[in-house]
Amino acid sequence: MSKSSTIYKGKTGQWAFILHRVTGFLVFLFILLHIIDVSTLNDPTVYNAIHQLYGNIFLRLFEVGLLFALLYHALNGLRVIMIDLWPGVIKNEKALFQFMLSLAIVLTLVGGYFIVKPFFVGVH
Amino acid sequence: MAQALSSRQRSRQNFETWAWFFMRISGLILFFLALVHMFIMHIENDVTQTTVAFVAKRWQNPWWRLFDWLLLSLGLLHGGNGLRVVIDDYVKRASSRTFLKATLYSVAAALFLLGTITILTFR
Repeated sequence: MSKSSTIYKGKTGQWAFILHRVTGFLVFLFILLHIIDVSTLNDPTVYNAIHQLYGNIFLRLFEVGLLFALLYHALNGLRVIMIDLWPGVIKNEKALFQFMLSLAIVLTLVGGYFIVKPFFVGVH
Repeated sequence: MAQALSSRQRSRQNFETWAWFFMRISGLILFFLALVHMFIMHIENDVTQTTVAFVAKRWQNPWWRLFDWLLLSLGLLHGGNGLRVVIDDYVKRASSRTFLKATLYSVAAALFLLGTITILTFR
């Protein structure tokens, strides 16, 4: 038996689960950072400087990544709730996963356009 | 189950059932709070416009302070509980689990306080 045949590869449900954990972890780490950056509110110079920094292209791309993580986690979370609530949904979990993932990607592209655009053409 | 559960096992089961329920409810609320927040701060407005003056104007309305405080507390609780389960699943050594969970709870509690103070004391 070849080595690869002994490794569990799972199906869509397993990938949905892994991606849910990874995106959840990343969003949580960002929340920790975000609480600290907002806590500088009483020092306007520092706070405004940080939010100018968020406007550079690397952090804008990071924000697009954050948007995808948040959208995927939110939409797949709905899928998990639907599977929990209605036993019949499990039969369609694969289609539902593909739908939620596609929706997350489309909304990330639309939102990402608005997040990255001001870097090139300025605000309004 | 053949054997009756000890009261310790039963309270653990009860806790996990409530944690499961909490994740569904808080997840549904966060679905709206987090996506609305992301929309307002990164799409309706540009991130470079979200200055102290912007926050001052926004937080004149106490409902936005409540909105942000709910996002803070539910985000920390939902994410903290998620990470607790992840630690239980993947960390095999009991002492490492205890250490990581103690760190997680301390960091989450400290940041909950920091965030709450920020929202309450900003003028």
